[in-house]
Amino acid sequence: MGKKLKKYWREALIFLSIMGPGIITANVDNDAGGITTYSVAGAHFGYSLIWSFVPIIIALVIIQEMCSRMAVVTGKGLADLIREEFGVKITFYAMAILVFSNIFNTISEFAGIAASAELFGLSKYILVPLAALGIWLLIVKGTYKSVEKIFLVACVFYLAYIFSGFLSRPNWNHVVNSSLHPAISFNKAYVFMLIGVIGTTIAPWMQFYQQASVVEKGIKISDYKYCKLDVIIGSFVVNIIALFIVITCANTLFAQGVRIETAKDAALALKPLAGERCFQLFAFGLLNASIFSACILPLSTAYSVCEGMGWEVGVNRRFREAPQFYSLYTGIIALGAAVILLPRVPLIKIMLVSQVTNGLLLPFVLIFMLLLVNNKRLMGEHTNSKIYNIFAITTVVVMILLSIILLFGSFQS
Amino acid sequence: MNKLDLNKPTPNPVFTYFSHILQCDVIGPHDEVAGRVYDIIVQVGQVYPRSSALIIRKGFINHKYAVIPWNEVVEIGAAFIRIKTESAGIKFLEKHEYKEEFSLRKDVLDQQVVDTYNHKVIRVNDIHFLMVDNCLTVAHVDISLRGLIRRMGWEKVVDMAVGMIDKKAAYLQNEHLITWKYIQPLSINPVSMTIRINVPQNQLNNIPAPDLGEILQDLNPQDQVALFKSLDLNARARVFMNLDYKTQELLIDQLGIAEIATILNVVPSDEATDFLEKLPKEMVQEFLTIMESKQAKKLSELMGYSSDSAGGLMTTEYLWAKKGTPVSAVLRTIKEKNFKVEPVQFVYIIDEEGHLTAAVNFKRLMLAEPDEPVEKIAFPKTYYVKLDSSVKEVAYLMEKYKYAAIPVVDTDTILKGIITVDDVLSQLIAIAWRRLKKIQAKSVQQKFAEPAKGAS
Repeated sequence: MGKKLKKYWREALIFLSIMGPGIITANVDNDAGGITTYSVAGAHFGYSLIWSFVPIIIALVIIQEMCSRMAVVTGKGLADLIREEFGVKITFYAMAILVFSNIFNTISEFAGIAASAELFGLSKYILVPLAALGIWLLIVKGTYKSVEKIFLVACVFYLAYIFSGFLSRPNWNHVVNSSLHPAISFNKAYVFMLIGVIGTTIAPWMQFYQQASVVEKGIKISDYKYCKLDVIIGSFVVNIIALFIVITCANTLFAQGVRIETAKDAALALKPLAGERCFQLFAFGLLNASIFSACILPLSTAYSVCEGMGWEVGVNRRFREAPQFYSLYTGIIALGAAVILLPRVPLIKIMLVSQVTNGLLLPFVLIFMLLLVNNKRLMGEHTNSKIYNIFAITTVVVMILLSIILLFGSFQS
Repeated sequence: MNKLDLNKPTPNPVFTYFSHILQCDVIGPHDEVAGRVYDIIVQVGQVYPRSSALIIRKGFINHKYAVIPWNEVVEIGAAFIRIKTESAGIKFLEKHEYKEEFSLRKDVLDQQVVDTYNHKVIRVNDIHFLMVDNCLTVAHVDISLRGLIRRMGWEKVVDMAVGMIDKKAAYLQNEHLITWKYIQPLSINPVSMTIRINVPQNQLNNIPAPDLGEILQDLNPQDQVALFKSLDLNARARVFMNLDYKTQELLIDQLGIAEIATILNVVPSDEATDFLEKLPKEMVQEFLTIMESKQAKKLSELMGYSSDSAGGLMTTEYLWAKKGTPVSAVLRTIKEKNFKVEPVQFVYIIDEEGHLTAAVNFKRLMLAEPDEPVEKIAFPKTYYVKLDSSVKEVAYLMEKYKYAAIPVVDTDTILKGIITVDDVLSQLIAIAWRRLKKIQAKSVQQKFAEPAKGAS
C-alpha cells in the first residue's frame, strides 16, 4: 500500500516537472481575440454553441499531441523540420505569413490591454507602453525556466473567468439542458460564429510554440506519457474557461438581448447586470489574457522564424549573437504596441486580418504536420497509428474546410 | 569571417551552386527532357567529396525517381545537364533508396552541420561546387543571407536592388562561404548510430572541449548521442565534463551507466566527484559499483567532504616522492607519469607514514644535482591546508604565497590531496557573483530610499 502511494507520488512529481508547454499553449489560446469571440458567442447565441466545445477539445488534443510527439522524438522544432524536409522556399513563405499574421495577432492582444486599461479607468497611453516594456524585459532578462513559471502563474489567473461565471448565477439546469439539446441552426450568422469559435481555438502559431517549448524542455521519450497528459489537461482547461465565458455572457447579456462587438463591450454590459465584482473579474481576466498572449506571440514568432531560417535563436544569447531573433522580437512588440496608440485604429478590421491570415496558414501547417508525423525516417516507431491517422486526417480536413469557408466569408463581409 | 584556402569565387563558370544545379533539366542525347535534378550523391573518403550519382525526378504529384551514375553525365550547361542514356532507357521508380551513400539533399542542404573552424552549429543555405571535367566537387557551403535569397530564386532582383543603392555593398562583396574542410555533417549511420566521420577531414578533435560541449548542446538529442559516440574516449571524457546536467542525464540514459563509468575512470577525481554529487543517491551507488575499484574508492572518499571545504575541492591526483628519493628518480617519474592530472608544477615529499614533510617545484628539480636526495632542495617551509579549511582560507594562502596549487592534509598532517588554482577560482567567482548581486540589490534599494541624496 505504502509502496503504491510512493509510486503515485513519484509519478505526480515527474508530471509536475514536465507540465507546462501544453497547458501554457492552450491557455494562450484564450487571448483577447478568443475572449471576444466567446463573449459574442454567448451574448448572441446563448447556450446553443456550447456543444461545439466537445469536438474542439478532441481536435485540439489530436493536433497538439502530434506536435509534442514530434518534439520529443526528433528534438527539433516544427519550423526546423519543415525546412529540413520541404526545403527553404516553402519555409520562407510559411514564415512570412506567420510573421504577418502574428503581427496582427499581437496588435489585437495590445488592443485587449488597452481595452482593459480603459475598463479599469487607466490611460492606455500609460498601460500599453508599460506592458510592452515589461513583456520585452521578461524575455530579454529571463531564462526559459523562470519565464515558464511566470506563464504557469498567469494560467492560474484564468480562474477569474470561472468565478465571474459563478457570480452571474447561471441556472445550471438550463445550462446542462441546452448544451445537451443544442438548438443548432443553419443560418449564416450561427455558422460563422461556430467557425469563429473553432478557428480561434486552433491557430497556426500554437503548433510552432508547442513544439518549440517541448523541445526546449528536453523531455525524454520515456516520459512522453506525462507530456501527453499535459496536452490533454491544457485542452480541457482552455475549453472549460471558454465555457464559463460563454455562460457568463449567455446568462446575462443574451438573456437581456444585449448586442456586443468586443470583450470590452461585454465587460461594460456585465456591470449593471451581474454586479461590480463580476465586471472586475471579467476585466481582469481580459488584462491577464492579453498580456500573457502578447508575451508569447512575439516570442514564438521570432523563435520559429530563426529556427526555420537557420539564424541563432536565443533567449540565453546576447543581442550581438542573435541579432535577427532580437530584432524580430522587439519589432513585433514595438509595432503591436505602437499601432494601438494611434488615434482611431480600425480594431475590428485588424482582428479580421489576423483571422484571415491564420486561416490561410493553418491548412499548410496541418498538412505539413501530417506528412512529418507519418515520416518513418523521422519518427521511427512513433508515427501515427492507422486509427489515429483517421482521426487526425478527419480533424485536419474539417479544419481546412472551416478555414476556407471563413476566408471566403471574411472577404464577402 | 573565414579564411578560405580555395580561390575566391569569381563569375568564372568553374564554380556553380547547388541551387543552380537543382533548377537544371536533365536531357538525353537528343535534347529530350528526362526529368529534373533532385539530388546528388557524393563519394566520401576525400577531403572534398566528388559527385558519384545524379538523382532525377519526374512527375508532378506522383514523383518518380531514377539514379544515374555520374559517368553518364556528358555536359553540364547553364540550365541543363546532358546524359548519355536515352531517356526512354531510364528506369524510374517510386522511391530511391540509398542507405550507405551520402546525399547532398538529405545530409547537407538545409540541414544543420558543425563548422569546426568557428566552433558553431550552422544551417546550410547552399552548396558551392567546383566543376572540373563535368564532375562536381563540393568546395564550400554557403550560410549567408545571399545564399538564402539565391535559393528563393530572387538573387538577380535583390542583387540589382542592392547594387542600385550601393555598388560596393558588403552584401555583394562578401561571400559567406565556409570551406568544406571545416564542415562536419551530422548524418547518422543507421548501423552504428554514430556520426559518419570522414577520416581525412576529421576536424572534430581540434575543437576545444568547452566549445565542443556547447556545440553538442545546440543539437537535437539523436545528434547529440551520435556525435558523442563518434568521439574517442579521451575526447568524450573532456566533453562530458563540459556539458550541462540535462545533456549529461540524456547521455547516461541513452548510453547506459557502464559507458559513462568508463569516462569517469579517466577524468580527474575532483571533476568526477563534482559530477557524481549532482546525481541521485541510487545512481551514484550504481556508478561506484561499476567503476574501477581503486577510482571508486577514491571518489567515494572525496564525496564525503563538504563541497566548499578543502576536502571537497581537492583532487587526489598529484605528484609525490618518498623522503630520500634522489632527484633523478623524481624527474623520471614526472616523465613517466601520464598526465591526466592538471599540469601542476609541484612534487610533494612524504615520509614512510605518508606525512607531508616538504614540497618542491619542477624548476628546483631541474636545477638540482641528479643524485641529491629530493628533500635537500625542497622549499624551506611548506604551507598546507586542512581537510575542513574553507574556500576562503585556501584562496587566501594561495594568493599570499602565489601558489598554483596547495596540499591538503588531515589532522595527522598526512597528505590527502591538492587543490589547484582553477578549482578555487570557480568557487570564488561563484561567491563573488552572489555578493555582487547583493550589493547591486542594496544600492538599488538605497537609490529608491533616498532619491534626493544622489551619488555619495
